[in-house]
Amino acid sequence: MKVESRTVLGAFSFLTILAVVYWVLVALHGSSSERSGIAMLVFSFAAYALLGGYLLAQYLRRHGIPRAEDRFDATQEDGAGVIDYFPATSIWPAAMGLGMVFGACALVWGLWYLAIGAVLFFGAVFGWVTESDYTEDVLPGTDPDELAAAHGDFASTGAHHDH
Amino acid sequence: MTILEERPQLPFEAHEPSLMEIVPGPRPHGIVKFVTSTDHKQIGLNYLFTGLAGFVLAGLMALVMRTQLIVPNNHFVTENVYNEMFTIHGTIMLFVFAGPFAFAGFGNYLVPLMIGAPDMAFPRFNNLSYWLYLGGFSLLLAGFLTNNGAAQFGWFGYAPLTEAIHSPGPGADLWIVGIGLTGFSGIFTAVNIITTVFTLRAPGMVMFRMPIFVWNILVTMFLILLAFPVLTAAMALLWIDRHLGGNFYDATKGGQPILWQNLFWFFGHPEVYIIALPYFGIATEILATMSRKPVFGYKGMIAATLSIGALAMGVWAHHMYTTGAVLLPFFAAMSLLIAVPTGIKFFNWIGTMWRGTIVLNTAMLFCLGFLAMFLFGGITGVILAQPVLDFQLHNTYFVVAHFHYVLIGAVLAGFGGLYYWLPKMTGRKLSEKWGKLGFALLFIGFNLTFFPQHDLGLRGMPRRIETYNAGMGWNFLNELSSIGAYITALGVLVNAWNIFTSWRKGELAGDNPWDGQTLEWACSSPPPDHNFEALPPIRSERPVWDANHPDMLTKVGH
Repeated sequence: MKVESRTVLGAFSFLTILAVVYWVLVALHGSSSERSGIAMLVFSFAAYALLGGYLLAQYLRRHGIPRAEDRFDATQEDGAGVIDYFPATSIWPAAMGLGMVFGACALVWGLWYLAIGAVLFFGAVFGWVTESDYTEDVLPGTDPDELAAAHGDFASTGAHHDH
Repeated sequence: MTILEERPQLPFEAHEPSLMEIVPGPRPHGIVKFVTSTDHKQIGLNYLFTGLAGFVLAGLMALVMRTQLIVPNNHFVTENVYNEMFTIHGTIMLFVFAGPFAFAGFGNYLVPLMIGAPDMAFPRFNNLSYWLYLGGFSLLLAGFLTNNGAAQFGWFGYAPLTEAIHSPGPGADLWIVGIGLTGFSGIFTAVNIITTVFTLRAPGMVMFRMPIFVWNILVTMFLILLAFPVLTAAMALLWIDRHLGGNFYDATKGGQPILWQNLFWFFGHPEVYIIALPYFGIATEILATMSRKPVFGYKGMIAATLSIGALAMGVWAHHMYTTGAVLLPFFAAMSLLIAVPTGIKFFNWIGTMWRGTIVLNTAMLFCLGFLAMFLFGGITGVILAQPVLDFQLHNTYFVVAHFHYVLIGAVLAGFGGLYYWLPKMTGRKLSEKWGKLGFALLFIGFNLTFFPQHDLGLRGMPRRIETYNAGMGWNFLNELSSIGAYITALGVLVNAWNIFTSWRKGELAGDNPWDGQTLEWACSSPPPDHNFEALPPIRSERPVWDANHPDMLTKVGH
């Protein structure tokens, strides 16, 4: 997580400097229409601050214990175990996509299309969230006993360490 | 090539098969698989071939335009049809083909394979992205079926042409929502790929061992996260203008047409790098494999990609020099700065080939074509980045020639990517004979089409005019350009034929036909569900090469 957070925070720093420089230059020499650019740059660095801050928090939360994918010497055994739940097939994304396309048609031809779009969209949301009933069995870190055992040792969710 | 085939395939020890636990589920086939599959490989192929369909359709529109322009005072199509053609040609090429073909097509298929992941982080979300993309594509095309025809204001839709009074009818609205949907698709793909790269890498696949292609896709995704929401917002404001009586862009009611230009290009310039960076990645992978060498200056390459991504956010107004409402020195300096990291990339590409054992097959030829054409487009870009020259050349065919060289350079790398990775995707190689013919036709055709357009621009021919008078001195160059377009079309046809016939009858590729270096060559062709039976140890940025060539291990710098 170190490289990840530094990459995003680096982009955040650059955008901040860019926004400040641009702001100053526009204030000195620019035209009024360029204020939109200032707004967009400010929101850009704010967005990266959010993402970079989250990644940094994830990194700090692990107290310097790297994940298996962050260790140069990790072997495949270090990554053994359940990775995640990967749903095989699902009709709901297609239904939701069709609902959103109907929603787009409503913007072109009138609100009538929104009725179909909303039914498809919310039906798909319902189907989607009720589809994955595997969660309790499969997802790492959802078993209460395992969580209790792993408390204070974040490495146990992915990598095993022999310190 | 025979030497390659005799090499043993991946002599690393297979680990116990239960290293990664996967939840089994139903595995449908045919149309049901197409609609419901959450497999990143199926979705990647969907994107690749939908993108190619967009390329062919938008290419046909280009042929209509070139046929109209082949002789002066031509009446092959009406002005309105010509306007629809250049608008939808540009829109489809950018929003349906050039971008998604690489970052969603190749990105979806290859990123999980290259980092040793079983699938994308959000497989169903991934499937949804594709349907939004296909829906957006369909709505863009649906414009042709409406009474007033498709949108006619060019792919960047400048205000006030886009206002309801100048562009009535649903064609323009379909353009708005079509782009909006492909934009959402792009944002969803970005979220998905960033999460995948950050959380689903194989053990030992640290960030600085990821292939350059993955790094480039990652930076592209960060650009998408900043650029596409601005575009969607701009489109929403435009829709409010058209339907709810807003006046954001309408100067007659106190709005600002320049606001649209600022918003659009704040998306539009990063979009150029959103398109280009994945193709840079494709070219890097092919050059390294076909030169039998590791990427020269691996970390320098990543630094260059990150610099291009960062600088791309600060150059949007170089499309607006002639408005007189932008800070010329700031944007000129930023635009010229981008030439530096791009130059580093060229230096490193040449360094990768330098003293390598170069295999000059079709994929490599396309890559070399990319290097030549993209370099040329880059140089004319440096010319246009300077306000003194841009004031002369703005909105002439010189600009058209410039960005077609940039984008077609990228597209050549994309074709190279097809020749390089389709054997992994289908299990069969494409024909080298047809491939080389296809490359020659495309390369000659592209150059013949667009090189004369530089001169046309210098002679003052503005873009987007549907005809011209005979006495302007533009006749011969337009004729050359149109002939080039037909040769290009023939080249596309040859390549399409090659893909079509090789899909079922091509020579069997095996798991690792090119003696590849990165992880996607460690699984079978095509890869099984959830990708890997076993992974080689990852100790450098080219684990498969290390496993196959223990005597020539990649030097690591840490």
